[in-house]
Amino acid sequence: MKTKLTLRDFSLLLSLLAIGSFFTLAAPQFLSSRNLSMLAVELAITATLALGMLLVILPGHIDLSVGSGVGLMGGIASVLIFNHHWPAGAAIAVSMAAALLLWMAMGSLIVRQRIPAFIITLGGLLIFKGTFWLVIGSRTIPVVAGGQSNLYSLLTTFYFPPVASAVLVALVFAGLAGLSRRARRRRSALGFAVDDAEVAFLKLFLTAQGLLLFVLTVNQFRGIPLPVVILGCVALVIQVITRHTPFGRHLYAIGGNEEAAFVSGVPVQRTVIGAFTLLGGIVAVTGLMQTAYAGASTTTVGDSMELDAIAACVIGGTSLRGGRGTVLGVIFGALIMASLLNGMTLLAVAPELKFIVRGVVLTLAVWMDVKLAKR
Amino acid sequence: MSALLEARSITKRFPGVTALREVSFDLRPGEIHALCGENGAGKSTLIKLLSGLHPHGSYDGELFFDGAPAQFASIADAQRTGLAVIYQELALVDELTVAENLFLGCEPRRGALIDWDRIWRDGRALLARVGLDLAPDTLVGDLGVGSKQLVEIAKALGKNARVLILDEPTAALAEREVDTLLELLRDLRRRGIACIYISHKLDEVFAVADRITVLRDGATIITLHTPATNKNEVIRAMVGREITEFFPRHASHPGEVLLSVDDLCAAAVKGGPARLHHISFELRAGEVLGIGGLMGAGRTELLMHLFGAWGTRLSGRVQLAGRPLDAASPVAALAAGLVLASEDRKRYGLILAESIGFNLSLSSISRLRRGALIDEEREAHANQGLFSSLRVKAPSLETTVGTLSGGNQQKVVLGKALMTEPRVVFLDEPTRGIDVGAKLEVYTLVNELTAQGKAVVLVSSELPELLGMSDRILMLHDGRVGGVFPKAEATPERLLAAAMGRTLTAA
Repeated sequence: MKTKLTLRDFSLLLSLLAIGSFFTLAAPQFLSSRNLSMLAVELAITATLALGMLLVILPGHIDLSVGSGVGLMGGIASVLIFNHHWPAGAAIAVSMAAALLLWMAMGSLIVRQRIPAFIITLGGLLIFKGTFWLVIGSRTIPVVAGGQSNLYSLLTTFYFPPVASAVLVALVFAGLAGLSRRARRRRSALGFAVDDAEVAFLKLFLTAQGLLLFVLTVNQFRGIPLPVVILGCVALVIQVITRHTPFGRHLYAIGGNEEAAFVSGVPVQRTVIGAFTLLGGIVAVTGLMQTAYAGASTTTVGDSMELDAIAACVIGGTSLRGGRGTVLGVIFGALIMASLLNGMTLLAVAPELKFIVRGVVLTLAVWMDVKLAKR
Repeated sequence: MSALLEARSITKRFPGVTALREVSFDLRPGEIHALCGENGAGKSTLIKLLSGLHPHGSYDGELFFDGAPAQFASIADAQRTGLAVIYQELALVDELTVAENLFLGCEPRRGALIDWDRIWRDGRALLARVGLDLAPDTLVGDLGVGSKQLVEIAKALGKNARVLILDEPTAALAEREVDTLLELLRDLRRRGIACIYISHKLDEVFAVADRITVLRDGATIITLHTPATNKNEVIRAMVGREITEFFPRHASHPGEVLLSVDDLCAAAVKGGPARLHHISFELRAGEVLGIGGLMGAGRTELLMHLFGAWGTRLSGRVQLAGRPLDAASPVAALAAGLVLASEDRKRYGLILAESIGFNLSLSSISRLRRGALIDEEREAHANQGLFSSLRVKAPSLETTVGTLSGGNQQKVVLGKALMTEPRVVFLDEPTRGIDVGAKLEVYTLVNELTAQGKAVVLVSSELPELLGMSDRILMLHDGRVGGVFPKAEATPERLLAAAMGRTLTAA
């Protein structure tokens, strides 16, 4: 479909540069390889969850329960490993299965009983939060039993060594370049509009620059963190699902006009339940990463992450009414939210102020987007 | 007697259509004046103009109220002058009480606060004027349609209306409620309140109206005094148009039965009252079955139900190509080879924010796969084929559908239906709101479909179109089959009489 960068994408890029420059001036260590590696992990967690959220916002729904879900899914795995001495792999599998089932159930309630997603997931927010605290007994449960690392803790402590990282980035770039060339040739063969050769080259060039800077910086620390690779995989999967499968088409159609989609033969209920189920899987992945990053399940893990995920979607140009939103936009939105939080933490900004600033940025971003959309 | 309300040579144009052409109309004090005409004759436009919804300046010609020029800038303006419209979809708030509704927007006050004593007292008085024996604190949501209608009239009287305009007031009423309403109108007439009465139901019109004005194709045809005319004369005035448009229907060679509907009854919701009663018909390969009927006769409901998108079935059997069709969902209907192009393009037809290509392939995308992924090359070729064969006028397949003209949007809706390779095609008002050229292309397409052995059901409000394009015509009346006519036996008068639930008697 549309491969052209729009004005909106540029506005995101510019906002991001502004935020980055501000923090670099205020706290030079913002650009340090260590901090950028941390930022990359934080981005990966926020963006992964936001991409899951995109799947349910596209057909016009919402999920407020993902924050509590993140805590609960991490908590289940922690308790199985630390209290019951399960192998990490099995514990992770249990969390994953529980999340898939719970979100499939919520999706079914929403479409079959016609209860608004807002209400069902608000209930989920409270129920999952309470269940989470019950599961961990309102205590702190480490993700490893006895100090050594396991599959669970490695989720955020594993780094690809510098050489492997460089190879990985080179492969990713080669893949992107190949795909873009193929898409371009195909589109022009079908008579569709394509970017000028200069524009296409510029885009690839900028991508290459970005990837190169990224790998050089993180390699000065420890290499590419595993969560970034997980985000890459999730993003690839969601991109393929939303853009290249009938299921994805149907998500956009339902969000654009549910009645017309229904009359056109779109299986509306099945599609929405599918979107929620996929989101459940992503909540589990995010929950494991977030808990591993914190080192242990505590009662505050996952707090207000649903808001960051929704904010990332909206800042990235996703319409809460459904029918509009892209993977790339959501990743940019998550990058803005994660950079803000990371930068403010570096500056030791008071928590009160952090909330206010994030709120202001979200409001500004949406206001700008509405203005640009009116053009 | 001088007129209370008069419209002099009113012309109203919309982009591409002239809705009213030099229409003149007058209403005398204390008169009930009925307005009759086919769907689309211009009745609604005239009402919207009289009630200020189309403000002064948006039309040519002049309005007079009580002998003075009237230039309504808004509905509120017309209301202040003394005109009130009672619409089909009632404008009452279900969650509020009757008395609150009566004074909605003009609550009596004492200082800054609402004067509740007056609301209850005056509310009771108003209800008495329309003969409603109700406590003023009854919730409107607890009332039936008939009582709601009377509350609407009471509300208008509370605003000192001198002219009531009723648009199809009895469409949803039971017989006894209709009698109550008509009696009230006669009572109001005695007290000098005039009324414009719009209805398809000629029995009511003849029971209550002093004069009848017939509109046709946006022009006043004739104004008749009720005692000096009869129903057949009114029907003839409503349809008496020459069929000048060109209908290129080819001779048909009906084949085997593709769709058979036997004694179908259906309701909107489980446990609700039936909207479709004992409907039976057959549709053969290569045939066009026209379905006509007045607004609310159940045409759209019938198509949507067979397609699995409306209501629940109470009884009856439906078979498509010999296999039972249970109307479970559009997905099942499409799989069985049935497709529907909806009358309401914007609501049921298109994803307006998406591209032409997205919309064209929407119903077929699950088949255009290679493994789990969409085969984009095949999709683009399929889209391109329809895009050019239907001659959609747009820069490219990636143009947003919402930016297209009505005719081109309709072509996209049809293209989407055709891509599913159906055996039976339901077309609900396929030419509504599109220009003559695009209409002709739709007719040509219908011919091509039947030539390929597909069967077409064509629902239309325009009698010339039904007569010109159908091989057989089924008229619906109030959810029932009012009559089925082979092409040779169909005349406008007969069809309209069947739509009104009458058999035409010799005049």
